[in-house]
Amino acid sequence: MSYRSRPLFPFALLRFSFLRILPMWGGIALVIFLMQIVICGIVHDNQSVRTLLSFLDLLPSIVKSALGGQTLQVGNISALIAIGHNHPLVLFLHMFFAVGVPTALLTGEVEKGTMELILSRPVTKTQVYVCAGILTLVGMFALVIVMFLGTVAATSLYDFGEPIPLGMFFRNAINGGLLASAAGAVSLLAAAVFRGRNMAVGAAVAFLVINYFVSLIAEWWPHMRFLKVLTLFNYVGGPKVITGWPLGNMCVLTVVLLIAAISGGIIWQRRDLPL
Amino acid sequence: MSVLEVKSLTKWYGSARGVEDVTFGIESGEVFGYLGPNGSGKTTTIRCIMGLLKPTSGEVRVLGQRVAAGRATQHAHIGYLPGEFRLWRRISARSALRLLARLGGSDLAKRRRKELAERLDLDLDRPVGDLSKGNRQKVAVIYAFQHQPEVLILDEPTIGLDPLVRQVVLDLIREAAEAGAAVLLSSHDLSEVSVVCGRAGILRQGRLVEVAPIARIVQQGEHRLKVWFVEGTMVPHIPADRLPGVRVIQQKPGMLHLAYQGTCDAVLKWITQFPVDRIATQQTSLEEAFIQYYKQQHNLTVKDGDDSTAKGCSS
Repeated sequence: MSYRSRPLFPFALLRFSFLRILPMWGGIALVIFLMQIVICGIVHDNQSVRTLLSFLDLLPSIVKSALGGQTLQVGNISALIAIGHNHPLVLFLHMFFAVGVPTALLTGEVEKGTMELILSRPVTKTQVYVCAGILTLVGMFALVIVMFLGTVAATSLYDFGEPIPLGMFFRNAINGGLLASAAGAVSLLAAAVFRGRNMAVGAAVAFLVINYFVSLIAEWWPHMRFLKVLTLFNYVGGPKVITGWPLGNMCVLTVVLLIAAISGGIIWQRRDLPL
Repeated sequence: MSVLEVKSLTKWYGSARGVEDVTFGIESGEVFGYLGPNGSGKTTTIRCIMGLLKPTSGEVRVLGQRVAAGRATQHAHIGYLPGEFRLWRRISARSALRLLARLGGSDLAKRRRKELAERLDLDLDRPVGDLSKGNRQKVAVIYAFQHQPEVLILDEPTIGLDPLVRQVVLDLIREAAEAGAAVLLSSHDLSEVSVVCGRAGILRQGRLVEVAPIARIVQQGEHRLKVWFVEGTMVPHIPADRLPGVRVIQQKPGMLHLAYQGTCDAVLKWITQFPVDRIATQQTSLEEAFIQYYKQQHNLTVKDGDDSTAKGCSS
């Protein structure tokens, strides 16, 4: 008798999981795409920009910091278009996907009892983890690309009276994709470590929310600026994107992504799942 | 060589014992019953065999290959039916079964799946969430058998099924064994174990206290005997010194209902000293033997005040 000891990669599981998350991904991508068009629709007209900025000035200054801070001025079209990328709703949708997908595909399947069936077929635990990882990271990157395409579509729809530096938005999107993927990797780690889905979601959300608010406070309060380097959000956007590829930022985010994803994989493989 | 070998398997959950020093083997074509009350370690053993849990010590070999936790060792050749079978509720049973068959290889199980659904009288096109508990269990049976595995690990396969379907499942188990599959059947339904299994292992508090042919386990249990004496005969008292292990279940004028262990030779020799009208014996079921076995083991444990008095396993 001769038996193959190493199972083939479970493309059937990858396809099945992809089809399951596709409606959620599609919904999120549509909202993000439309957000870019709506924001560009508002900021292409100077009168609307003045109204928007007056409105933002009425709100606590931390809100303006969240949307772009002092760069938000009449005439700074790129910063105004970037509101569509930094908007809390857009960030929330990215994080919803980053946290929801790995926890659903790992701890969610364990809680539902279907993980026991998947692992009783010729599929290793590592392969299950890799499937969840691929869908999370590719899904996050794809969302960021959709966001960029929304900006491209919006700049075609509206006349801004000056050329829009789409190359900068593309670099920003790739940088943002790495940030989103790093957030997804942290969620993968949480899904590998915690026994229940709620615990995993709670830990990943807490990590991202704390990162976001620390970054916001550091941006808004000069005394706290030193904290900014400790947050993931420090490594996206900024002046480096305007002139070229922000390689330093991208390296930091890639290292975070790899460390979180690999340590999650090791923990997932080694621990007994609460089946 | 055994198709499935479990050697000195031990699994602790922190300070709680799952199973300890469990050893047994199953040959090709054999149906092995795995018995024990809730919490005795049956599911822990099964999950270690499937590589779903990492043993604390010991090893499991399936088709000659050592099982590594999480590595899906020989899973293409194993049909597994878990104790709690739960599927994705929104998709049809057919889609779920097709996906599970395709995992790790192509779906060659289509014809067999159709045949099994017909035998079990199951509509595979209904969403899993709309199926009754019994029908979901039928899906579980199809899942375990659809790829014609060489090893079957079945944890309570007939739970929730009506007697007719239960019979079909028992037939499937027999047919698989006749085709050369090694079957591990964990069940609380001892009548079905006694019908399909050649040997059985009995677990108690995580230890395998007996591995023996079913007939021997039944023989080790208590047997019953009813004796009616000729009218007017005084019912005799049992000489405890000559007949140890014999006890009176019921005594009426002219009738004695006895329970004994082992052979009936000594009891019959004693009874024939008296004018006997007629004798009736009852067939001991595996269930009775199992319950009595547990009582004996429990008494031994209580007497010695230690779990370690449980009989060592033999394979």
